[in-house]
Amino acid sequence: MAQAFELLLRGDAETWGIIGRSLSFSFFATIFSLIPGIPLGVFMAWKASKGRRILASLIHAISALPTVVIGLFVYAFLSRSGPLGFLGFLYAPAGVILGQFFLAMPLVASVTYTGLAKLDPRFKETLETFGTPLLFKFSATLREAKMAVLSSVVLSFGRVIGEVGVSMMLGGNIRGLTRTMTTAIALDAAKGEFERAISLGLVLLLIAVAVNVTVNGLASHGR
Amino acid sequence: MGAKSLYSVRNLEFSYGSGQPAALTIPRLEIGEGQCLAFAGPNGSGKTTLMMLFNDLLPGGGESAAFAGELWFRGEPVRRGMSCFHPRALRKSTAYMHQHPYVLAGSVAHNMSFVCRARGISGQAAIEASAKALKLVGLEDFAARRQKGLSGGEAQRLALARVIASGAEVLLLDEPTASADAASRDRIVAALAQLVENGTTIIFSSHEQDIIDRIARRVLVFERGAIIQDIGR
Repeated sequence: MAQAFELLLRGDAETWGIIGRSLSFSFFATIFSLIPGIPLGVFMAWKASKGRRILASLIHAISALPTVVIGLFVYAFLSRSGPLGFLGFLYAPAGVILGQFFLAMPLVASVTYTGLAKLDPRFKETLETFGTPLLFKFSATLREAKMAVLSSVVLSFGRVIGEVGVSMMLGGNIRGLTRTMTTAIALDAAKGEFERAISLGLVLLLIAVAVNVTVNGLASHGR
Repeated sequence: MGAKSLYSVRNLEFSYGSGQPAALTIPRLEIGEGQCLAFAGPNGSGKTTLMMLFNDLLPGGGESAAFAGELWFRGEPVRRGMSCFHPRALRKSTAYMHQHPYVLAGSVAHNMSFVCRARGISGQAAIEASAKALKLVGLEDFAARRQKGLSGGEAQRLALARVIASGAEVLLLDEPTASADAASRDRIVAALAQLVENGTTIIFSSHEQDIIDRIARRVLVFERGAIIQDIGR
């Protein structure tokens, strides 16, 4: 354990490189996932129809899929013989970010939808009665439910930073290129080299605590 | 339908959910322009339902509602049976205020600017419309006040200021003094009296007879989803 702390404190280049890479992959995947995820969540909350309920159930289910299943589907598209093989994303940072995007996006949509569904129905009627244009209605809704939207961002980041299936399948755990905290932990533990694995585990633990504290803080602020 | 008819209702029957008992049954109703009309009657008698139908705020059909008959606004169909037409003229000309209004998170000024932006009022016109409406309801010094710091009566006055600033020619006010203390109530009644004097069409519901007597020129009395009296027609 002492050696694990030492690795972090003395600024071991490889350890901090892995941490930085993990954070940047997860950051970009989360940011990209907001672009379709938030409008999808808002759309599901606005549209009162049977189709909406089916779509919401589907999104909820996808957001709970094991990461390796998402990784497998994306792998099928990105592999050399797959329809997107020409992009050369497999075993590259772009592949990991794309896979993590598909992990994060349903969660963003799902949490946004759940938060918006709890909004007072009089809010929607207030938007309607003033004939609020669509784009302004969208921004007013996000402002009104900003705690739910921020929660979706934080939770999605927490999910992708801690996943191993997508990073391993689509990134290949290549040293200095696609090795993330979780894939490095898996490799080091398998080799019996626990110092770095524990140091990275501690960082992940800190991130998990930060995510939970933030989400709980947002939830209590929203009440 | 008369030439100056604002709302026309024919054989209206509305229920919340198919198979549910009718919440509202009105064989025939005409409401003219420039009227100040009060809906009176006990809770659950259909006042809010009709007001929300007048603002096109209730579901069109399917699992959540059933509508039969016809509803017209200024000669344009709003609903004919299960068909909803959502006329733009109705959305632009009317505004509905809840009995317990929803105040947007943020300041009073934010709530006012939201309404102006929603209605496409910008710049100096928005500032003037907001200031005038806030002054009318006695909230001219409340622009920076946060939503959480407002009392029930202040929230109701803010909601009234919003519908006034929206520039709507027809105000649909569901129990506009329901959450108000005596001071807020007096401000609201005074504001409504002034709006009526200026020719704004006001349709409001209330349980307070003195307010109805003071402002309304016509009173519809509701009971169990039907209009049982039409006074001052």
